[in-house]
Amino acid sequence: MLVGAKVWLNADSIVTNATLVIRDGLIVSVGTDTAVPPEARVWDCHDQVIYPGFIDAHVIAGSARPPLAERGHPGSSDNHALTAAGGPYYGIATADRPTGTSILGDRLPSVTPERHLADAYVPPVKSIEELRDQGFTAANFSPSSGIFRGWSALYQLNAKSATEGLFRADTTAELALETQADSAYPGSLMGVIAVVRQTVLDARYQLETGNSATVLPGPGHRWATSAAAMAPFLTNAAPVVVEAGSVLMEDRLGQLADELGVSLHFVASGAEWRRPDLISRLVGRGTSWIVPIDFPSVPKFPSDLEWEQVGLDRLRSWDWAPENPAVLRQLNARVSLTTYGLSDLKEFRPNLRAALDRGFSERDAVAALTSEPARLCGVSDQLGTIAPGKIANLTLTSAAGYFEPDAKLLGVWIQGEPFLQPSASASNKVANLPGTTSDGGKEAASPSKATDEKKPDRKKELRELATRRVAQPPRRQVSAQDRPESVLLKSVTLWTCGPGGILTNASLLVSGGKIIAVGSSNTVIAPVGTLELDLPGLHVTPGLIDCHSHSMILGGVNEQTLPSTAMCRIGDVVNSEASTIHEQLAGGLTVANLLHGSANPIGGQNCVIKLREGAAPDDLKLAGAPGGIKFALGENVKQSNWGEHHTTRFPQSRLGVPVFYANRFTAARQYLEEWKAFAHSGGRKPHRDLELEALAEILEGKRWIHCHSYRQDEILAFLRTMESFGIRVGTLQHILEGYKVADEIARHGAGASAFADWWAYKYEVIDAIPYAGSLMRDRGVLVSFNSDSSDLARRLNLEAAKAVHYGGVPTEEALKFVTLNPARQLRIDRWVGSLEPGKDADFVVWSGGPLDVTSVCLQTWVDGIRYFDRSQEAERVKALTDERTALIAKARKLSGEDAGGPGGKPATPAGEERFFRTSLESSHAHQVVDCLDVDRATN
Amino acid sequence: MKPISLIRLLSVAAVSLGVQFAGNAENTDFAWVGAVIHPVSGPIVSNATLVARADGRIASINSQGPPAGTATVDLSGLHLYPGLIASATTLGLIEIDSVRATVDTTEVGEFLPEAQAWQAVNPDSEVIPVTRANGITHAEVVPAGASVAGHSSVICLAGWTTEQMVRQRLAALHVFWPSFGLDLAPKSVRGDGWKSIEDQVKERTKSLRELDNYFDEAEAYVRLSQVRGNEPGFQQTPAWEAMRPVLQGAVPVLVHADDAAQIRSAAEWLVRRKFRGAIVGGLDAARCAELLATNHIPVIYTREFALPPRDSDPYDVQYATPSRLQKSGVTVIFGDGQGSASFVRNLPYSAGQAVAFGLSAEEALKGLTLYPATLFGLQASLGTLEPGKQADLVATDGDILDPKTSVKRMWIAGREVDLSSRHTRLYDRYRQRPKP
Repeated sequence: MLVGAKVWLNADSIVTNATLVIRDGLIVSVGTDTAVPPEARVWDCHDQVIYPGFIDAHVIAGSARPPLAERGHPGSSDNHALTAAGGPYYGIATADRPTGTSILGDRLPSVTPERHLADAYVPPVKSIEELRDQGFTAANFSPSSGIFRGWSALYQLNAKSATEGLFRADTTAELALETQADSAYPGSLMGVIAVVRQTVLDARYQLETGNSATVLPGPGHRWATSAAAMAPFLTNAAPVVVEAGSVLMEDRLGQLADELGVSLHFVASGAEWRRPDLISRLVGRGTSWIVPIDFPSVPKFPSDLEWEQVGLDRLRSWDWAPENPAVLRQLNARVSLTTYGLSDLKEFRPNLRAALDRGFSERDAVAALTSEPARLCGVSDQLGTIAPGKIANLTLTSAAGYFEPDAKLLGVWIQGEPFLQPSASASNKVANLPGTTSDGGKEAASPSKATDEKKPDRKKELRELATRRVAQPPRRQVSAQDRPESVLLKSVTLWTCGPGGILTNASLLVSGGKIIAVGSSNTVIAPVGTLELDLPGLHVTPGLIDCHSHSMILGGVNEQTLPSTAMCRIGDVVNSEASTIHEQLAGGLTVANLLHGSANPIGGQNCVIKLREGAAPDDLKLAGAPGGIKFALGENVKQSNWGEHHTTRFPQSRLGVPVFYANRFTAARQYLEEWKAFAHSGGRKPHRDLELEALAEILEGKRWIHCHSYRQDEILAFLRTMESFGIRVGTLQHILEGYKVADEIARHGAGASAFADWWAYKYEVIDAIPYAGSLMRDRGVLVSFNSDSSDLARRLNLEAAKAVHYGGVPTEEALKFVTLNPARQLRIDRWVGSLEPGKDADFVVWSGGPLDVTSVCLQTWVDGIRYFDRSQEAERVKALTDERTALIAKARKLSGEDAGGPGGKPATPAGEERFFRTSLESSHAHQVVDCLDVDRATN
Repeated sequence: MKPISLIRLLSVAAVSLGVQFAGNAENTDFAWVGAVIHPVSGPIVSNATLVARADGRIASINSQGPPAGTATVDLSGLHLYPGLIASATTLGLIEIDSVRATVDTTEVGEFLPEAQAWQAVNPDSEVIPVTRANGITHAEVVPAGASVAGHSSVICLAGWTTEQMVRQRLAALHVFWPSFGLDLAPKSVRGDGWKSIEDQVKERTKSLRELDNYFDEAEAYVRLSQVRGNEPGFQQTPAWEAMRPVLQGAVPVLVHADDAAQIRSAAEWLVRRKFRGAIVGGLDAARCAELLATNHIPVIYTREFALPPRDSDPYDVQYATPSRLQKSGVTVIFGDGQGSASFVRNLPYSAGQAVAFGLSAEEALKGLTLYPATLFGLQASLGTLEPGKQADLVATDGDILDPKTSVKRMWIAGREVDLSSRHTRLYDRYRQRPKP
């Protein structure tokens, strides 16, 4: 019987001076007038606070690996680990391939949904004690690595024998978007998502067909796993917990969950503050977040110089971090807390205090430590609140309560058994008589109080400084976008790139995001209320279109582990937060064809986006754009420049490349026939294979190939191989020797998306010439110029100008190389590429002729919204610079005062390390992502 | 550098490179008429006449037309510029980036002042005529890599051999300044290669000290050699001997530095050592404009098309840097600095972009002509169209800094230079391919 404490029955009700009766590990009664059983042993708990025993919702079993959000990401510079998996996979499944090599369709070591942690795991005593020392009574332990990781289990933290602590097996099914090391598939984020999709499809197939075999029908091996293990992903049979690693991936998986009809719970990335709008879309679908509170600390730098190198995003991440739990709660998200991400659990309470200082309420914190994790783990009937009949798991602190880090944590009770801190035990273990007081609580905070009292004002000031957020929401600038209903541009020179040609002293009227009228200034009449911009002397062109971009892609441009990765989709990993969007808008770009890299003959599916800065990833996509896919030939796919170790993956020469394609499309044709037969005459339903499905779409003319190609021989070999399957190629990309076979390309009907003047960077471009665009155009090929570079994409107009220089393409036609022609190549010219009534209002205002080197892009509009306005830039930059200056001032002050940790506490080494983590969304910032990366093969 | 034999050498070069003499007779003056002349040294002159003597030197620029009887070439409708000088290039040192056998830019070791870039230039590099075709007549060729990487040379982009092409063997000593950038990636990301910030700073301090010590030792050697150089037993040291022209002020020191702290450190070092020099790279140079202006340190700016390095930077920070530098009084020279030689031909467009973002057209052109000529000690013959200078002429159909513009003809020392290249040859060949 515990007497006299303030008791949190649950997050919403508190009883003071309560009597809590425990018998046989269960709570018998709790209240102020509860009957006292005469045989009870009485524990005096006056001046103490009792909470329902805390539950950690996510402890990784036996691993100190940092959370995904803190890992390095496969950016362009970290991408050196290329495939070793290799193996002689010729594009057809063979029975005699050597063991140990992996090919597409193999069972993946990262897919182990059938793993049950409870079968074998015993939490080590050290973990148990560390958790108990922070007031936890139970923890949901999760399998440590892989993508489909298996089942977690809830353990009570009172284990004395190997099996005693297990409270409930198979609480949650764990999924993590973890790329695989050592060149194993999947090595990229888009590959991980492809694995998730395919694995769920496989399991669903088993469920539907009642096929319990672990090898599915069809050629080759499948990523087979048992449908039973995958039940949570099919039927909502148990909660699925996902570590997505970033807020954009939470958004992506939220949509995948809708697709699959299940609800998900997330291990928060800690950066949900970046896109609260995306989070709010997930809230209310039963989704909850398990929130680590592993906040960064401000490091101490050797000198002031080092601050120059600290960017705004890093500072924002630091300043926002403690507010992230509050952000989630303000969005009405359900929140559990976890120690996950903390290498030293002693950081937990100070960090939690910092979160409370930033608006996370005590009520929410109690819920997040008790009833919420209990609910998630399906044990609400036994744990998570203090009520008669519940298991007597309690967390006890001195009077100030758990959320004052200086207040003494007295210990925990687990199943009615006390685990008290040594000092607490000394004063409490003696059965005091009711009514007498213990001084255990009062002296609780004394050790640190002495130092506290030295400079209480200073301390308070620093804590207040730490508590006041200086960082701004990253999306602030989105609200500054100009969104008039109608706009009229007057007195401009219009380069329509359409039948109208170049119109001087002309007007462009747009309304509702569409072009309404194009014509001479006295014929176009604007309705009342139209924003009129009289811009004499200025030039207006369609928004520029980049037919080959690797910008704005999260977590790896290449899935380079396998020779065909047609199942990967760039559309899954669009980075809406990339700073390059703004930089490219500032150069007049409005549409980009985001492509997988060229590391393998068959790459991933493309994604055509509009540069609607600030929109959600899916809202960047150009609706209606037909699907495409990246193919590649030549040195990259044969790994010529990858180093001496890359000599075993097929193909290694231009001999093998067409063979590989032929084999793969033969398989795709068989796949298509299977489905046709099924549609026609029923029978056994074929198994869905996302790789073959994408290739089958090509055969059906629903998906266009964009093929990275260099030498004339390989171009012809490729075109002829495709023709033998009845395929017309969408575009040949780069197409450096395309000028040598321009007639053949024109006859085939492929577009040529070329570099303006790249050459001599590798052997296969030795015959590249800048006249190629002009020559191919002369021979009737539809030509565009692309960037393949987040730098060049900022001035495609000047690339187009080179077509005038080399070969004398007329200026207006040269402009079409970066407007209408790429639109036609991508089959999106119904909407974009020229200024014609009915098309999207995507246009650029230039200070002079668009191909003049001295002209500057002044405004860029997409869908009738002004996304870039050069006259606003100074203000925009000033806001960012001021914000950074203020953040540095705050950080330096806290750092100098030894208060660099969250909430003005001293910094910890682990916290300082977290300061330097780079978010997935910003991992490509300030790096040119392009095609020249011979040793990285990202082109 | 002795220009004595250049003309003779060039005329030899002219014959077999397809270079045509401008005039019919070698010993007469020759005139270019009808062009808009951009002399760089003064205002643009329309419909002007440039007269050169048979020695390849400019005699006059006037608007009265050629002296009677002078052979002329009609350039009506074209612009005439001095040949452009590309700084900080690897022309001739790299043929194909990814083919190691064709790359000769970088040596092993920290200090190699003996290296002279011209000696490793491949005169038959296909990159050279391609570069020349965009109006570039001369290039500074730079060794890379080590701390003191060696000497750059200025070469003429026409000639049979390295000896015939080189115009300035010791153009500058190139020093690659220790990095001030810190690898901030946490240990959990970097793994075994991780170094603490303190250690990184210590390493930087050590590198700076070693670099400075190297120059101290070189100075000590030069002093000693002045006293004891003629005594028997005095051991000559090639590396120190190679440092002598630099220490005596005959050769400038070009320091590669990009971030603000690195540039400040390098500039202060140049000042302290009283070296004539320049900064190469200059990513953050605008942040150090005052320091550079006060000490008259030019910048060979290679970062016109670099991405903004900080997330709070304006999108055009690198585009506008030349303008900011110039307005602060810093001389801006445009350099390539890409590593690859294949893009040197686009250097004029870097200058053009700088004009779009505020630099005056005159200054932009000087950054490709007069300023590099002066820095490399060749201003007596290169860099402007003035009487007495070499008649290195580029005739274009428009602004030489604009990518739409084509170079129509070119003369080096008054002799016409072939503008064909691997590119034009392949173009011509495949343009004539019969329809299959």
